[in-house]
Amino acid sequence: MEIKETAVAGTLESSDIQIMISKATDGIQIDLQSDVEKQFGDQIRQVITKTLNDLDITAAKVKAVDKGALDCVIKARTIAAAQRASQTTDQPAWEVL
Amino acid sequence: MDNQIVDLYLSNPKVKRDWEDFLTSLKITNFSANEVDQIDYTIGIYSGDDLVATGSVAGNVLKYIGVCNKGVTTGSRFNAIVSELVNRQFANHIYHLFVFTKLKYSDSFQHIGFSELAHSDEAAFLETGSPDVNDFLTDIPRVDDQSDKQVAGIVMNANPFTRGHRYLVEQAASENDLVYVFVVNTDASLFTTEERFQLVKDGTVDLDNVIVVNGGDYMVSYATFPAYFLASPDQAVTYQTTLDARIFRNVIAPALNITTRYVGSEPLSRTTSIYNDVLTRELPSAVEVKVIDRDQTLTSDHQVITATQVRQFIKKGEISSLTAFVPETTAQFIQNHLTTLQKRIQEGMNIDGN
Repeated sequence: MEIKETAVAGTLESSDIQIMISKATDGIQIDLQSDVEKQFGDQIRQVITKTLNDLDITAAKVKAVDKGALDCVIKARTIAAAQRASQTTDQPAWEVL
Repeated sequence: MDNQIVDLYLSNPKVKRDWEDFLTSLKITNFSANEVDQIDYTIGIYSGDDLVATGSVAGNVLKYIGVCNKGVTTGSRFNAIVSELVNRQFANHIYHLFVFTKLKYSDSFQHIGFSELAHSDEAAFLETGSPDVNDFLTDIPRVDDQSDKQVAGIVMNANPFTRGHRYLVEQAASENDLVYVFVVNTDASLFTTEERFQLVKDGTVDLDNVIVVNGGDYMVSYATFPAYFLASPDQAVTYQTTLDARIFRNVIAPALNITTRYVGSEPLSRTTSIYNDVLTRELPSAVEVKVIDRDQTLTSDHQVITATQVRQFIKKGEISSLTAFVPETTAQFIQNHLTTLQKRIQEGMNIDGN
């Protein structure tokens, strides 16, 4: 899947995460802002990276603002943002969930 | 439901009064028409009949954000309002947003993903989204071994590019290895951004060490320095230019190794003259400011060259008077597009400002 435009999913409210995905030339760069960065930063990054890899996205710039989201939420928001960014919302990637 | 977000239609006098009263209670009191008229839309949260939170958007700038935290978790309404505004802007394909706020609220915005570009004692200026300032800087062309070179910067609106601008660029080009000319990006002038940019490029094409760049949202833009485009009190000009100067000093100049900023002396425009004073106060010692006096020998009768005067000539159609003020390239453009330019003036484009 290829990132075609900037897209976003999620909100800034408690227990949610806002994920913005834009184009990048190579690699997945994650800019994470979280109150629990110290405890769960690596875990959050790993969930985002794995979800993107499962969608065959190898190059993307991700900006994530976490408000204490659980892994399942992070995954869901990442998929939503990635599908919007790659203009594939009409073909939901169920198998990634 | 708590935190139910509704649209506020300020065209309704009752809604507008409630909105103003609520913001006034939070010490936001500037409701002058040139601020309020810029607003694209406003949202709010009610608790019973009382407005308890609100926020607005003007272009890519969030404005008039006010929240009452009485009886709820601190920050929850603020997050709800800002996230709704951000999401609506994203849905409109505006992925890059700014906020200009009191210094004490800077942390609250940073907490939800904004990054601070600059702050002064009173105010802070933040951005979020993409492309951000790092993307902007990455895209600017560079030369080999730039870190060893003597690099200067000039910011100009060039509405249009005159012999005065040309003189300033020449001075900088003769004293430095490389000169960046940043052309103001905001499209609020008689000449469009594209036209101004092209006229600067055409007018400096023979100077090998000059790179003309669009100033983006970071140099004298509607976001950083609205007073440049709207008549404003001196105090507002000082606040805004302080932030504008600090962005240049802290973010732009170090990335491009700019150590000198050239400005033209300003005998006529009050706003620009305050801006020059603030630059002289804020930029050193990181960036030296060189104020170049307007060379009155450029015209035969020793007039001060200003773009304002050029625009008056355009209005009156006095093409022959123009040529003393502008380079050949600009004169040619004006001659070819005189009717279009005059039509813009007739349709209400203000030509007396900057």
